[in-house]
Amino acid sequence: MTDDLINRLSADLAPVPKRALERRLMLALLIGFAATIVGTFLILDLMMDRPFGGADTALMFWTKFGYTLAFGLLGLAAAPVLVRPEGRSTWPLVVASLLVLLALGSGSMMWMEADWPVSMLMGQTAMVCPWLITLAGLPVLIALLAAMRSLAPRSPTLAGFAAGLIAGGFGAWAYSFYCGETGMLFMAVWYSLGIVMTAALGAVLGRILLRW
Amino acid sequence: MAATTPNEDLMQVDETEKRLRGLMLATLDGDATAYRMLLTDLSRYLRPWFARRLSAAHASHAEDLVQETLLAIHTRRMTYDRTRPFTAWLHAVAHHKFVDHVRRHAIRPTVPLEDDAPVFASDDSASAADRHDVETVLKSVPERTSDLIRQTRIEGATVAEAAARHGMTETAAKVSIHRGLKTLMEKFAGGSR
Repeated sequence: MTDDLINRLSADLAPVPKRALERRLMLALLIGFAATIVGTFLILDLMMDRPFGGADTALMFWTKFGYTLAFGLLGLAAAPVLVRPEGRSTWPLVVASLLVLLALGSGSMMWMEADWPVSMLMGQTAMVCPWLITLAGLPVLIALLAAMRSLAPRSPTLAGFAAGLIAGGFGAWAYSFYCGETGMLFMAVWYSLGIVMTAALGAVLGRILLRW
Repeated sequence: MAATTPNEDLMQVDETEKRLRGLMLATLDGDATAYRMLLTDLSRYLRPWFARRLSAAHASHAEDLVQETLLAIHTRRMTYDRTRPFTAWLHAVAHHKFVDHVRRHAIRPTVPLEDDAPVFASDDSASAADRHDVETVLKSVPERTSDLIRQTRIEGATVAEAAARHGMTETAAKVSIHRGLKTLMEKFAGGSR
């Protein structure tokens, strides 16, 4: 029985190129992100009439640019480790948490100095921002989870979380180009929430889809 | 053939690791002969490792688990990082398959799931080649007898457990094992001493 299996498996052997796993994840990211770019343009620019261009103060544009991209890159650092059966990687998640705290801290400072105006927290788009970020990240999340299904994560939940972190980060990055909000606190609260929601969705889906 | 990597010196390079990792690296490059050797070798390590973790009532699951693990090695071989120890990877795959199987079948394992005894500590014969010889020798006695001998003398089951698996009394099993060993002695050791 087992000998039959060994015969069948060894007859079915195809070589595995070096760094095949990393390439598979990158390819999934590229495919997903292409869909995100098209999707954000269609929904945000054409349907919601928010032109490409981003925040009107350059400093805040670049802050959002760096803040969101950092989560995507931290997820990318964790994912290739977490999709392996013996993979353990915690530092990217720790750094991501610290980054959120840092943003919340400096956002609160600015809010305090401006004497707590509610408009600074809520901006114009607080109620849609996290949802749109999750929506923008969804194609990336789907592509990554599909690519991870044939891998072997030690913890499917954590691997899904890393996929969600990448998706949330890159989704928020794409979203930031159409977002006119200029508040630090706005970004710290609503962008972070959108990214966390995407990561949590990834963890839930990963728990189900990435079992092996 | 084994590509040298920067952290190879840091690895715990024992003989098993070296041999299996060499086979795995050849496998990833598409060498079917090396792959067949690797899988055959691994099944010999995995069988007693799983058997020890299952109670007598579930001993038959060991073979399923070996096959599930080999299949996972095949379909998920991309997740092996060429620069890292192979035995650690294999152990993680086997452990995952065991935990999954135990949960799915609601089996109570004989060792705690957290017990991470390495897979490669559990091949009790001196080497896989010896193990192969033993299997060949055992073919010369009836199948049930050879299985009883294998379970009690190689895989470490008690006579009572082995007897229960074959639905026979402990006394009958003892007699059967004794006769089987005697036959083997006569055949291979130049007569009983």
